[in-house]
Amino acid sequence: MPLTPQLRRALEDIVGPAGLVVSAEGRLTYECDMHTFYKGTPDAVVLPESAAQVAAIVRLCRREHVPIVPRGSGTGLIGGAMAPEGGVMVSMTRMNRVVELDFPNRCATVQPGLINLWLSQATRDRGYFFAPDPSSQMVSSIGGNASTNAGGPHCLKYGITVNHVLGLEVVTGAGELVQLGGKTHERPGYDLTGVMVGAEGTLGLITGVIVRLTHLPEGVKTILASFSSIEDASEAVSAIIRAGIIPAALEMLDEVVIRAIEEGVGAGYPKGAGAVLLIELDGPIAEIEAQSGPIETICRDHLALEIRVAQSEAERALLWKGRKEAAGVFGRLTPNWLLQDAVVPRSKLPQIMKEVAAIGARHRLVIANVFHAGDGNLHPLICYDDRAPGELERAKQANEELLAACLALGGSVTGEHGVGLDKRASLPMQFADADLSFMARLRRVFDPDSIMNPGKLLPSHPACGEGFRPAARPLPAGTWI
Amino acid sequence: MAVSAGAVHEALADIAGREHCLREAPALARYAIDGMMPSLVVRPATADEVSRVVALCAAERLALAPRGAGTSIGLGNPPRRLDVVLDLGRMHAVREYVPEDMVATVEAGATLDALAAHFAPHRQALTLDPPGGGTRSVGGVLATHASGPLRFRYGTGRDLLLGARFVQADGTLTWGGAKVVKSVTGYDVPKLLVGSLGTLGVLVEVTLRLHPMPPASRTWRLGFPSREAAGVFLAGLLDSPLQPDRAALLDAAGLARAGLAVDAIGLLLSIGSAPEAVEHQGRALARLAAGHGGRSEEVPDAAWAGLGPTVDGPLLLRATGEPRRLLDWVGEAHAAAARAGVEVMVLAQPGHGVLQLSVREGFDAARVVTDLVRPLRSALEAEGGSLVVERAPAELKARCDVWGAIQPEILAIMERIKTEFDPAGVLNPGRFVGGL
Repeated sequence: MPLTPQLRRALEDIVGPAGLVVSAEGRLTYECDMHTFYKGTPDAVVLPESAAQVAAIVRLCRREHVPIVPRGSGTGLIGGAMAPEGGVMVSMTRMNRVVELDFPNRCATVQPGLINLWLSQATRDRGYFFAPDPSSQMVSSIGGNASTNAGGPHCLKYGITVNHVLGLEVVTGAGELVQLGGKTHERPGYDLTGVMVGAEGTLGLITGVIVRLTHLPEGVKTILASFSSIEDASEAVSAIIRAGIIPAALEMLDEVVIRAIEEGVGAGYPKGAGAVLLIELDGPIAEIEAQSGPIETICRDHLALEIRVAQSEAERALLWKGRKEAAGVFGRLTPNWLLQDAVVPRSKLPQIMKEVAAIGARHRLVIANVFHAGDGNLHPLICYDDRAPGELERAKQANEELLAACLALGGSVTGEHGVGLDKRASLPMQFADADLSFMARLRRVFDPDSIMNPGKLLPSHPACGEGFRPAARPLPAGTWI
Repeated sequence: MAVSAGAVHEALADIAGREHCLREAPALARYAIDGMMPSLVVRPATADEVSRVVALCAAERLALAPRGAGTSIGLGNPPRRLDVVLDLGRMHAVREYVPEDMVATVEAGATLDALAAHFAPHRQALTLDPPGGGTRSVGGVLATHASGPLRFRYGTGRDLLLGARFVQADGTLTWGGAKVVKSVTGYDVPKLLVGSLGTLGVLVEVTLRLHPMPPASRTWRLGFPSREAAGVFLAGLLDSPLQPDRAALLDAAGLARAGLAVDAIGLLLSIGSAPEAVEHQGRALARLAAGHGGRSEEVPDAAWAGLGPTVDGPLLLRATGEPRRLLDWVGEAHAAAARAGVEVMVLAQPGHGVLQLSVREGFDAARVVTDLVRPLRSALEAEGGSLVVERAPAELKARCDVWGAIQPEILAIMERIKTEFDPAGVLNPGRFVGGL
């Protein structure tokens, strides 16, 4: 839908000329998130500076029946912060301030565009941090984290974003500017904050976030255990959880990923290993010491090749660097990829890893694995080359079989990335019509005119056609999973 | 009722069995809500039966109140209408439990005590412990968003409910959420149901995150000579890396009622961890308390069970303010109670700013509303807090809204949700916020 001169003027009246992007080159920057298969350039990008401006934008678009797509830092992996139907994209990058640090109440009020890591950096000296730590945390925004209910390695112990959001300032799709929740931990009525987190901008735009601050642990210990096979490593994960130990993080990398990381950033991972577990314990030092012994024993019992404990903060940072930047080195592995984010019950990890290997072999594809093993959240990366005839079709087939296998084990379609455009067609695998209908009706309550991030999160009518042929494109530099 | 009670009784008896469909006055009296008697009580055994009961009520425009163990049935405004009470007490099975997953799917009528006994052999626990709540149903605890001392480490039902099967107001059996510990597939429907008092759907089956029981656990009672001293200690505790797993704060009356040694303010804290860590943190706790003029003593784990009686008064208020002002609110509550001529005892959640104020018999309802509920509520609301009347005699409920006022623009959204999913007002009409 082309931008009318009237609409353009009205938008400019709200955000000023510096807050409006309408040139073709300018808008191209916003055509996709990190899932670059999905492209859709907005007709205009606005960069508001206040909640009042956001509310004015929503009311204007509502009146004009123009789609609205919110965008934080654009690091999502689901085809979320892009505009398949055009319309107005609302970028929160100019609303990136810490509004208030309230240590006695252990919370912070921030604008949605604030970068996740900045908050932890701003509170570290006072002994606090913001617990949700998506691998993109050095660039992703807290508003985006809240919109997608982002996870991260340390969510195993600390919970995902929704467990850390106390309140939201929101402009609903109906144009209401409301403060949901707040510094107080309970309030009567429906938990609208809880519903809004993870709604991917389909219910409203987040213009402010009140988050919990968590006290830094007394100590941290990072252990790296390598195994000759991913099966052994998976059994070790199940055994650790079974022993009643919930580490702060419990991450798995397979042989393909280890090799790519070593050739890329070089994190000192053992080269010949078939799998690496990155295990982090944090909390009271006495507790860490009491837990690390049993963990090492479990790893040895599961035939660990090597167990290494980071001896310094620098060594710890290096072990994590490999994990956090894993996806960024995938360019060395494959020209194209499909990425899953499915979850299985944690006891099913050994079983699903066998299935992943079998599916890869069956379709003659490399499937690389780097994931949050402790909570069963897989990130299989199905590698293919779009130039090779038939590979994309095989990759898509493998992708579907993998998802089906996870759901057959009682899993979920997405653990932390979200749905966006990418996974909406998979929802009927997990939900019945009545369940999806409930969600669609909930959406209508907040977005009566269906203008909020249309086409995302819920499956559309089959007649709309969910099939797509992704453009052949290499991985963008700096992708995080 | 559109049709005769007799015809409805027959239809319900067809669904749940005659012996599980009550209509005799003495039996119905036990199911009264705020003095209002239902015409019928039905006790279905399966989700399918619940679905058919609700569909029947919807078709006949009957008002239905879901009920778990009935222990918190006093929460809410008096029903606008009440025809059928749906008792979930027969639905108490553990449907799925794989200890290695630390996830369990249970029927909503299961009691917390029964679930604890089920998970304990695997050294796991559902970390929900509303005081005196062992006989409460898990569905009721979730629908009322009840919590207890374990909230300090593990959060509330909002953090523990992963998935929910529920029956919508038209009888449609619906599922929301997932059966794994991490999922962002679709909207977080379980969040909408926690604390919704059964006004959007009847919970029939819930999937919950469990936690491992710590290898060792010890409990300390810390006593302080004044609110000020306790306040400074609490600020220091929250600003430290110490990690209690359970925490409760009581005033002198609360301490006495709980059978604990009496001080102006006392805290009950437990540390659950490896034995060495428990020992180490316990010493640190005692040092921190001593530094603020407090005394500490180790008490048996059974001390936690003593909290139940501190919230069993005929009038129970739930005050929420900013966490940092918890001790101020204890003072404000005492002052308001004195003005109203009643004695309150306080049980509070450190770190969360939530206080339960229990008042014994013999109060004047009008005075309590005028001098305690209203002024304390408006003071709390001024900082974004609230005051909910959790339990009260009908004559007091007649004088004030138990939930307090909801901001009009927020209430408007809640009304749209309720209207979307229960336009005819089948589920608990009138009992929730704003008369929803």
